[in-house]
Amino acid sequence: MLEVKHLMKSYDGHKRSLTDVSFTVATGEVAAIIGPSGAGKTTILRSINQLIKDDEGQVLLNELDMRQLNRSQLRQARQNIGMIFQNYNLIEPLTAIENVLHGCLGNKSTLAGIFSLYRQSEKEEALQLLQKVGLGNFAYQQCRHLSGGQKQRVGIARALMQHPKLILCDEPIASLDPKSSTLVMETLRQLAIEEHISVLINLHQVDISRQYADHIIGINGGQVVFDDHAEALTDTAAAQIYRKDLVLNEEAAV
Amino acid sequence: MIKPEKQLTIPTPTAKGPQFKMPVKLKDRRRVTIYLTLLVLAYLTMVTLPTMLPDHLNLKTASLTFLQNIQIMFFHPGLSNTTFVQLIQALLESILLAFLTTLIGSVIAFVLALVSFRQLVPAWVGLAIQSFMALIRAIPNVLWVLIYSVVFGLGANAAVIGLTFHSVAYLTKVYTDSMEELEPDAIETMRAMGLKNGPIIRQALVPNFIPSYLSWTFIRFEINFADAVAVGAAAGAGGIGYQLFMASSFYFNFHEVGVIVYLILVFAILLEIASYHLRKRVMGNQ
Repeated sequence: MLEVKHLMKSYDGHKRSLTDVSFTVATGEVAAIIGPSGAGKTTILRSINQLIKDDEGQVLLNELDMRQLNRSQLRQARQNIGMIFQNYNLIEPLTAIENVLHGCLGNKSTLAGIFSLYRQSEKEEALQLLQKVGLGNFAYQQCRHLSGGQKQRVGIARALMQHPKLILCDEPIASLDPKSSTLVMETLRQLAIEEHISVLINLHQVDISRQYADHIIGINGGQVVFDDHAEALTDTAAAQIYRKDLVLNEEAAV
Repeated sequence: MIKPEKQLTIPTPTAKGPQFKMPVKLKDRRRVTIYLTLLVLAYLTMVTLPTMLPDHLNLKTASLTFLQNIQIMFFHPGLSNTTFVQLIQALLESILLAFLTTLIGSVIAFVLALVSFRQLVPAWVGLAIQSFMALIRAIPNVLWVLIYSVVFGLGANAAVIGLTFHSVAYLTKVYTDSMEELEPDAIETMRAMGLKNGPIIRQALVPNFIPSYLSWTFIRFEINFADAVAVGAAAGAGGIGYQLFMASSFYFNFHEVGVIVYLILVFAILLEIASYHLRKRVMGNQ
């Protein structure tokens, strides 16, 4: 479904943030990218929907190279990719349902987007999605009044409203308490199974990735150091991913 | 970057001798410059003030007359040359002038602010617009009205265009600044969902921008009202400013000046109350 091949990225021209990153994510699979801070996890995620322009390589989403698209093609391709952020990135003064409805604006006209013209069916779908993530009663609450866990679930509903083939999650539970984290991770896991959406998650927690992911990709110093089933991630393997000297070696080598 | 003049040497507790006084602020060149400037200014003021007094002016009688006039203005307001209805009409004229120029100015400024917003357009476009606006702002509001009154002739046209001109320059600057202060995440998120600029502006930028938009526009309305009064006298644009000019410089009627000043004062207080409630309402929604 998603194929990342030989991805390279350097922010300042000589020190590489990503060196030759390749991995694949299958349809309906939950894949977790783990690794120490500054390893390049966010860079990988943002290269996939081209929020960051990478330098070299290929990002194939259903055989379509995201890097070769022009502006309007890229816009269309992005509509198939939902994204969930650590800071939820909702429009706080708006209500939950308005935020969810933003998800369907991608395939509507500019005028409909400017005047917030949604069809009855779209509004009903948005409400159903909110009910699905357990926030049916909060549909008309301003998002600034919601708790962190609730905001993240609104974010998930918004991503689902796009009918995505792939959902990218950038540290989705880093600012949440354990209970909300479990809820969010379970929702994501369920989606992959029920809707056959591929989910690619940046995570810090080894335990949680073992628990919820099918496939784990370990990153250190901008390189893939582990790429296997979740069961194959032993404690030694995990320790290997988080090894500090790898980062240092990389800096010295480049 | 402020650099301390000298490196502080902090003595070890074992060191003997006079007790070390630790400064709370480090001496730096900038502070010294400020103090020196203030000193020079104070000296200049002290030297020039006594020499400014013309010989034929008696400070004591002048002060007394001044107080007398103030007393006439504020304690014996009254009308003789104009009626109260005329004055209210004139006040409304000034308010409408301020309202119109703020309205036109805020619409144009909002568009210009979007066009110079770095997250939507290349940086050089914004820089060009902002530099041009800074140029307009550098010349005072009333002067613009005078310039335009040369072009269009004295009257309301020159006042409207001149005040709008400066409002646009001022509001473009503050709108852009408040847009840049907003979290960039919201716009990036919308971009990641594949939205075009139009919907992004409407759905992600506008809802977050409304509170600062309202408060800045309201401040500009206050400024424009004050300028509308001044311009009424200076450019013959009519309104309460013109009445004030006639009463004070033509009829020398301080009773009437008093009424006019009170009218303006009442309106300013009403404006303040309105802006307080507006802000509370917008913030209350947050």
